[in-house]
Amino acid sequence: MVYSEECDFIFRLKGILEFACQLDNPNGVQSQSTISKSFQDLRSKVTSKNIVFTVCNSPVLIWPNTGFQSSVESLTEASACGDILQWIESDDGGSKKSSKKKDKKKSGPTVVNMKLLFEVTEPAGNTAPSLIRVSTQQHCVKMPLPLDCALSVTTDERLETVCTGLVEALNKQLADMEEVVLQYRKGSSFLVPQPFHFQLPEPAGLITVVYPAGVPDSQLQAVREDLHRKFELPCDRPYLRRANAFHFPDAAYKDGYLRNPHIHLNPPNIEDAKLYLVQGVYSYHHYMQDHVDDNGWGCAYRSLQTICSWFQQQGYVETAVPTHTQIQQALVDVGDKEPRFVGSRQWIGSIEVQAVLNQLLGVTSKIMFVSQGSELATKGRELANHFQTEGTPVMIGGGVLAHTILGVVWSENTGQIRFLILDPHYTGGEDLQTITDKGWCGWKGPEFWDQNAYYNLCLPQRPKSI
Amino acid sequence: MGRSYFVDEAVEEYLVGIQTAPGSCVTGLLAGQSSPQRDFVVLAVQTPHRESEGQPKASRGVSPLDDIDVEWVTEHAKQVSRMLPGGLCILGLFLVTPPELSKDAQNALKRLIFAMDKYITKGRLWELSEEDVTDQVTLHICSKTKKTVCKTFDVKDPKSSAKPADWKYQTGVSSSWPMLSCSVAVDVQIPMTGSSSDITDKCMKDGLRRWAKQIEAACCLINGRHALDDSELVSGQKKNPKTTHRQTLPARIFVSDEQAELDERSSALVQLCSGSVKVRGVVHCRAYIHNNKPKARHAAQAIKRDIINTVCSRVEMFLEDLLINEGSHKGLCSGQQALPRRVFAPVPVSGLSVCDYMFPDESTADVAERLKEMLDCKTPEEDIDTSLEGNQLFSNVCGSEITESPSDDSSKHVFSEVQTENPKNQKAPQYYAGVAITAAVALLATATSLLYFNE
Repeated sequence: MVYSEECDFIFRLKGILEFACQLDNPNGVQSQSTISKSFQDLRSKVTSKNIVFTVCNSPVLIWPNTGFQSSVESLTEASACGDILQWIESDDGGSKKSSKKKDKKKSGPTVVNMKLLFEVTEPAGNTAPSLIRVSTQQHCVKMPLPLDCALSVTTDERLETVCTGLVEALNKQLADMEEVVLQYRKGSSFLVPQPFHFQLPEPAGLITVVYPAGVPDSQLQAVREDLHRKFELPCDRPYLRRANAFHFPDAAYKDGYLRNPHIHLNPPNIEDAKLYLVQGVYSYHHYMQDHVDDNGWGCAYRSLQTICSWFQQQGYVETAVPTHTQIQQALVDVGDKEPRFVGSRQWIGSIEVQAVLNQLLGVTSKIMFVSQGSELATKGRELANHFQTEGTPVMIGGGVLAHTILGVVWSENTGQIRFLILDPHYTGGEDLQTITDKGWCGWKGPEFWDQNAYYNLCLPQRPKSI
Repeated sequence: MGRSYFVDEAVEEYLVGIQTAPGSCVTGLLAGQSSPQRDFVVLAVQTPHRESEGQPKASRGVSPLDDIDVEWVTEHAKQVSRMLPGGLCILGLFLVTPPELSKDAQNALKRLIFAMDKYITKGRLWELSEEDVTDQVTLHICSKTKKTVCKTFDVKDPKSSAKPADWKYQTGVSSSWPMLSCSVAVDVQIPMTGSSSDITDKCMKDGLRRWAKQIEAACCLINGRHALDDSELVSGQKKNPKTTHRQTLPARIFVSDEQAELDERSSALVQLCSGSVKVRGVVHCRAYIHNNKPKARHAAQAIKRDIINTVCSRVEMFLEDLLINEGSHKGLCSGQQALPRRVFAPVPVSGLSVCDYMFPDESTADVAERLKEMLDCKTPEEDIDTSLEGNQLFSNVCGSEITESPSDDSSKHVFSEVQTENPKNQKAPQYYAGVAITAAVALLATATSLLYFNE
């Protein structure tokens, strides 16, 4: 099995298995072994002949535990897993192709979604049913376990190997779930174990961690520390918070905001120059979103929202992206503004952005001052360093405008520089094509800035935490 | 533009041959299958004679029509509907009257048809879908002229008025209908929150309903193909009127434990129970589908409903029987008790299967008797197929050892006292209309069914 970011496919198997057990005394010594026995039964169930994988949006059914049988004759154990694609009906076959631009980067692995089912026909025996009654007072526990296993593979991997791998993954996940359930159980109170997938740097690749539902990330610090050690991850930035969970390429974001529109652009080809980009994921916030008409005054607020979205999605904070009102209130709370500021349409600048990031997110920022727009062309090194070490989006305000800088292409030798700008002044809908075509997210040269105005840049710093 | 009923010639023969005492009426059931375009009637059965103790009741009303025993007709309908495999159901009623009563016949039929539908559908574990036909047919036959008047009522609309319908006789209406079949492993764990009969029955019903929803939502393969969307059921059989061979299509059912309302929880659902009941075993299921371009998903729906119905019916029968034998204070006792098992028999001429349920102490003779009484058909005992569901091999005594149940805490189980007399030793009185039973007990059975599975 290959675990590399160059994998062509991710096979994702989801299903619900009901965990059920009857406990005479939830606080007694027997209860742990009863719970373990129930999990053991579930593990037997997934290794039994009755489990079936159904490939979503296709007529394909696979019985992985009967020496590989499938409902479609041409798919055998020797088939390459890529062969499965011809059977899958995509929802929007045509439009997917039209949105692909020639300069679009590789869109990532194809996700094949599968569902876990159990056959109830073709039983082993044929004894007619009976009623079996037990009259002890018991605590009846029922809990749906949300199984979710993912495997990264290359096109030529055999389908049979993929299915065997998925069965193994199911088994392991049940074992992990058992551990979590037992660890967090209090008497007859059970927390649902929830799996999360994370794409870690090589060689770990795509891994799955089970966390107890309802326990916030802040209380799972020790668990993450163990895992950081195990996977040799840096200890100063989060990889395993719930917000860091791998976003499957075929899943839409429920909130409707565009993520990282810049990846659809090709950076300018400057001789001898290197690319320094924002790291991780941010959402594009701009004028008129969320039914707020901030056209003409809200640009810095939107840039601030983009930055907040970055901290949320990298797992540093759990708070939602603040509204204009919340931003204004924060400034009143720190004493920077009078109470009547709230509800007004007053502009804010880099200093206010820094103050809000500190107040609402606990994030510190560096301020860079530039006395003339023309000077920005000389700030290549600072910006390159920032993107390399912190990798956070930069808010820049000056003249009468605020923008977000997402990266630079800079040559140390020639000093040539281009800026990747995300423009909050866009008033349209979340249309990627328009946003990239019309340059609302685009590469600009030094002439983009008002050469005579002074500018302040707010460079947010990553907190050191996991 | 009413409905069209295509009726088998055997039904015509039966209806024509009904004997009526002068001046009296005969009621009966019509069974078959409905599809959105047309309906097929394959069976007609007159209401069996109700034996009453003592003197015959004095005529209550002005006319024999008022004497029609609505309860009896509906009880008969319920019993017959339990004997029909999937795809087949009660489609309506017929009424034979002397010419002078023909005018009032329609009202009588209307009363009957609504009462019957209400009674049959009580306690059903699956919901009607939008595509289900809710029209029931009423057929009036004049005993002298043999003339028929056919009308339908929409039984889901209390204000429905009679709509005219076509009644056409045809040969071999169901002769080429494919039969779906499968054996289904059932393993349902139902927690009991109390021990009184009322609570037991409610818990059973809730638990079985959850299971029924899983079956309804399950993925289904018929003859190796997915039964999805609007694709036609491919039975692979050419329509050849000369072939009498009926195709059997194997069905396979795949379930998931998904329950939408539970899946949003972050913690387990824990109930303090006074015990639990498990329904465990294998049921054999059959369903027929008409061969007038049927859709695969209708076929899937038919077999799924049969799966749900057969489990529900036998649990109902078991509880009814328990009530009659032991009274309501006993309820279910601990241990393992066999549910009645399903046997199949062919109906003469059409060859369609009907089924019945055999208690452990019964024999094929009992089944044959019931088939004669309920379906008015003589089936030789050797034609009754008891091999499809295996006999439960243990003694059906209360407090007997429980077979290993994986999730239960091992040792301590409270057994209720072992009964000194095996309640099944005496031949269980037939809990539905039967030769041996008095009208009073039969009425009790009716009341019981109404009580336990009441909404």
